[in-house]
Amino acid sequence: MITRIGGLIVGLVAFMVPAELPAQQQRARSILFLDQSDLRGPFYYEIFVSLRERVTADVQSHITLYRESLDLSRFAGETYEASLRQHLKEKYRARPIGVIVAIGSATLELVQRWRTELWPGVPVVFGLVDQADVERMKLSPDVTGGTVRLRLADSIQAARAVVPDLDSIAFVGDDWDRQVVFSGWKNEIGTAAAGLKVTELIGLTMTELRQRLATLPDRSAILYSAVYFDGEGGFYPPAVALGFIAEKANRPIVVASETFLKPGGIGGFVLLPREIGADAASRAVRIINGEAASAIPVAIVNAVRPIFNWQQMQRWNVTEADLPPGSEIRFREPGIWERYRWQGMSVIAAFLAQVALISILLHERKRRGDAELEARQRLSELAHVHRQAIAGELSSSIAHQLNQPLSSILTNAETAELILDSPSPDLREIKEILADIRDDDLRASQVIAHMRGLLKRTPFELKQIDLNQVMRSAFDVMSAQGTIRDVALYLKTCPEPLWVKGDRVQLQQVILNLIANGMDAMTAMSSGRTIVGRTEIDDARVLISISDSGSGIAADKLDKIFDPFFTTKQQGMGIGLSIARTIVEAHKGRMWAANRSEGGAAFFVSLPLSTP
Amino acid sequence: MPGTVHIVDDDASFRTALERRLRKAGYEVATYACAQQLLDRLPDEKEAGCILLDVRIPGLSGPELQKRLAELGSTLPIIFLTGYADVPTTVKAIKAGAEDFLTKPVTSEQLLRALEQALAHHETSRSLKAKLDALRTQLARLTPRETQVFELVVRGKINKQIAQQLGATERTIKAHRHRVMEKMDVQSFAELVSIAERLGILSRTSGEDSQA
Repeated sequence: MITRIGGLIVGLVAFMVPAELPAQQQRARSILFLDQSDLRGPFYYEIFVSLRERVTADVQSHITLYRESLDLSRFAGETYEASLRQHLKEKYRARPIGVIVAIGSATLELVQRWRTELWPGVPVVFGLVDQADVERMKLSPDVTGGTVRLRLADSIQAARAVVPDLDSIAFVGDDWDRQVVFSGWKNEIGTAAAGLKVTELIGLTMTELRQRLATLPDRSAILYSAVYFDGEGGFYPPAVALGFIAEKANRPIVVASETFLKPGGIGGFVLLPREIGADAASRAVRIINGEAASAIPVAIVNAVRPIFNWQQMQRWNVTEADLPPGSEIRFREPGIWERYRWQGMSVIAAFLAQVALISILLHERKRRGDAELEARQRLSELAHVHRQAIAGELSSSIAHQLNQPLSSILTNAETAELILDSPSPDLREIKEILADIRDDDLRASQVIAHMRGLLKRTPFELKQIDLNQVMRSAFDVMSAQGTIRDVALYLKTCPEPLWVKGDRVQLQQVILNLIANGMDAMTAMSSGRTIVGRTEIDDARVLISISDSGSGIAADKLDKIFDPFFTTKQQGMGIGLSIARTIVEAHKGRMWAANRSEGGAAFFVSLPLSTP
Repeated sequence: MPGTVHIVDDDASFRTALERRLRKAGYEVATYACAQQLLDRLPDEKEAGCILLDVRIPGLSGPELQKRLAELGSTLPIIFLTGYADVPTTVKAIKAGAEDFLTKPVTSEQLLRALEQALAHHETSRSLKAKLDALRTQLARLTPRETQVFELVVRGKINKQIAQQLGATERTIKAHRHRVMEKMDVQSFAELVSIAERLGILSRTSGEDSQA
């Protein structure tokens, strides 16, 4: 019953003598499964279940299965063994057995002893037996089976994997001598645990054990073999005992059996009971089906593999990368994502759709914004070009306006020179002259400022402006033109300031354009050319009108005059009014034309009043 | 040469500057903001004078004023001053008898030279007119018979011919002739012819006149 790791199967086959006679006999189609457990723990049960599955899967014909648990971990001694033998002898007297399956070294030893008496000539298949035990027991030729190699070095490697800076290990288990599977570790400690501080918490009571395990040092790991006794008269299946231990342990518990993973072991190189059961089953079935046991060599079963408990890994901050290569992870808790995959997918899909929609809308919005900006820039550029055209038309009147103060300045300067050349200069007069020169200079610079304002290329900007001022300034600019073209200009502004949010340069351009248009409309008249500008407040809106005394606009053209490239003038481009209307609409305003009952045309601009 | 300069310009500052400068040069100055003001108080033609006229003034324009003054028989020379001299306007003004056409800004030197010339012209035409006026006055003092004799004499008729034409004696004609010489204040026959020439008597057809 002691499993030992190590040893090679060499030369075993040489001892085997072919058993021709039994092979020729018709084997009973039944298997007696004997194990050393007490029926409670999961480990041996798993071996049996695995074997049963394999045996049942054999389709040739039905195989009867008997199972006996010898409970060798709790009971021992000659008397017990004798009673067991007697029991089995009586129980199976009339039952032909095809193959005996013995699980564990202790079972195999008993079966070897009892066979001659109880089951003469019946071949034996063993499992869960250490290679060293196999050699020691000197097996009969019709005994075959799979050996296991469970090495302490592997478990320590696992301990180093889960505690990277490991400096001590604590062994937890029953007295080495009472161990049915792990007793071989005792001899291995010296070499496998070299360089580590080793604490053996062996043979303690459960109470003591739980206390000790709660206060282990930081850089340590627990190596759990198996606990059957609580030292106070109670027996546990070792998996259950592990559960109690794990409750209090303050360090990760490295285990060596697959069945210890769930109760709280972090994992390690663990024995896989199902592999053992499967190997035994396949051997047994082959023998029942006619093969000689001696023809099936003893071999190592690949029943130890590195397997870890994901939940414990989370607790001890062990990542997958820390584990020995080829490790398997069990009990991986499905993440929220795995658990609610479909719901999550739908939510994400909806979210993505929303994001896409929002992006598209934002993109559209940006495009619209860009387009508006571009349209405004285009308008600004076009407006600027048109202002240049207006300025060109006004150049003669501008020259005239500049010429006046310049002439006065020249004459005044010459007069001053003359006075200064006289024997007794009249300084009072000089002073007067200088004051006049200054006034004229200011007058000239104002003309230039007006002109510059008209030619300025400015980005469209909304500011709080007084339309009365804009009107006055436009009429000032046009006054000289009025003189030249013999047009009388009148401006009647309302007394209160007319605040609007707008671009001063562009709105002034609109007014200049209307005045210039009015003048053009009256060119053919011999006299009485008049332009009247008016401003008034009309129900939260500002109303500007520019009317002339010309012949008016043909009724069918009243709508068309604002269309681009529509013109009634010989030399007009037809863009002035179209630009003017665009500017007004960019200011959220309206612009229209009408014929006056007393003759002539009137243009109206209505803009929203804005409180400063 | 002293005289009065009449400035018609709508720009007050320019009027003041010009007035100041011209007074320094010794001229009398009268200013008018528009053409109508000048028409309202027409300058005295007897004094030496000149009009400085802006082409573009509100209301009646410069050239229009020029026309009106000519109609009124004004002899005041007109110098146009303009900030913007286009060829058609200039030519029209000069043809209509403008003395000069200056472009603003104008230097004092330019302006004063033009003024001097204009005033000299005015002076000349004024004295010429005064002389003619005197001659006309003298002519008006002749009796109808004396006038007839005068007109025939200057056309080179001898006394005998005149006497025959007027149905008088040669001696009577001689006496008339003597009185004409006296009244017209001339010493020689040549002088008398010259006066007749200046008064435009010679260009008239003698037949009609003689019968008038």
